[in-house]
Amino acid sequence: MPAIILADSLFGPFFRKYFYYYDSYPLVIQIAIFLTGVAIVTTVVAYSSILLRRGRGYLVDARTKKINQFLDNLITDHIIFNEDVMNGVALTDVQIDLAPFQKPIFRQTWVKQALIDRLIYFSSSFSGDRNVLFRRLFIELELEKLSFKKIKSISLSTKIVGLVELTSMGIAVADVIILPLTNSRNRKLRSEARIAYIKLSKNDPFKFFDDATEPLLLWDQLELFKIITTTEGLTIPNFARWITYSTNKSIVSFCLKLVIHYNQHEAIPAIVKLLDTKDHYLRVDAINCLGKLKAEEVEEKLILIYNNQPLRCQIEILKALGRFSTGNQINFLRNEFLRSTDFDIKKNAARSLIKHGRQTKEVVQMLIDTATPESAIILKHCMNPLIKY
Amino acid sequence: MSDPIEKNQQILLIDDDELILKVINRILSREGYDVKTATNGKDAMELIEMQKFDLLITDIMMPYSNGFEVISKFKQHPNAEGVPIIVISSVGTENAVREGLNIGADDYLRKPIMPDELLIRVRRFFK
Repeated sequence: MPAIILADSLFGPFFRKYFYYYDSYPLVIQIAIFLTGVAIVTTVVAYSSILLRRGRGYLVDARTKKINQFLDNLITDHIIFNEDVMNGVALTDVQIDLAPFQKPIFRQTWVKQALIDRLIYFSSSFSGDRNVLFRRLFIELELEKLSFKKIKSISLSTKIVGLVELTSMGIAVADVIILPLTNSRNRKLRSEARIAYIKLSKNDPFKFFDDATEPLLLWDQLELFKIITTTEGLTIPNFARWITYSTNKSIVSFCLKLVIHYNQHEAIPAIVKLLDTKDHYLRVDAINCLGKLKAEEVEEKLILIYNNQPLRCQIEILKALGRFSTGNQINFLRNEFLRSTDFDIKKNAARSLIKHGRQTKEVVQMLIDTATPESAIILKHCMNPLIKY
Repeated sequence: MSDPIEKNQQILLIDDDELILKVINRILSREGYDVKTATNGKDAMELIEMQKFDLLITDIMMPYSNGFEVISKFKQHPNAEGVPIIVISSVGTENAVREGLNIGADDYLRKPIMPDELLIRVRRFFK
């Protein structure tokens, strides 16, 4: 009651002044007053919720910072400065004192989660014997159970967190769990699952290529490429297997890039078959791959198909001829340079001619002497060693 | 613990990663080195102005001014004469290593760091 009296004494005159005649106001004014009221209430609610969330975030941050300091000291004392490691004891005989990590505080889920996060952070910051010990601690404290629980969660974001945790700590995940995730419709989950599979699978890290139906996006290709080329001890298969049999074009395209990286000449027959594919983007990748592998044996075939190809493929063929630099196609390149009206064709033909070095020195000079001013500019541009393609 | 002759060597450690800073600081201090830390190039330069160090250990990717800038400024400083520099960085590309060594670093360590390896390399400079 006193609150009502107080409110009436404070706001009463205001409400009485403006709302006493509310019913008698025109409809437009009534709506305006109503909407103004709604706007004020919504703003107050929105700002309050932002304030509350920020307040809660601040408290969580402060709590996490405090626990992280505690955990950092604990991990540093027991792993980084582990007495056995410092005294040169063999890694298999090193003892980790688990008691400090089993104190009652660690029964709380958020503290366990903070410990997982810190172990992952330590693991990514330090290598060698300590890294093995971080993993051992993770397993001995049975923290992987929490991560596996996350993988089984319905929430996709929780699944991703679980996968990242297990991958970071190098914990193997059964194929039956991880393989279906490599084909998830969720892009992020799919990507993480594929990375995890390559990192964790002992026998056949590229097995998911067999059943991949969802596309491997360019960004994912970049990530996978980095993982594949930097993971130690990975068994590298012959990628011709997927170039021949995979129906997933993005997988084929990715395998072509891996073939180039690992210089797999044994894959050339499979790549040559790709020259007959209807997808001209894939043909571009195949020609690019053949050029970079310096598969001179396909030179004749590339010349044969040249006239029936779209512009992108023609450019790639011209580049490949430059990479081969056999000297057999100098006339072809010269004719393309003189005949074509397309700038890209002219430029790549000129570039490939110049790439032949001494073999084409006279031809190039003759072209400079007789070319139109525009063609001469292209030639000189291509002769500049500082300009890369 | 290593030779007591090595003690009281002044080391400046620069890294924006506080965990690495804290752990390496503890490792080196435990060995008897006198370690000063900075989390960015600006603070590091202030410390360099104030005192002479016997070894500089720096990260590359840092706020304000990166490790390469710190090294080149440090090299021009009178306090830097003959002071060895170790770079620790997660940028492990050939170019970065080349640039680091070209600019005047004496050693280049890739992250993640092996604490024992770092210690051995530090000791080597004080032999």
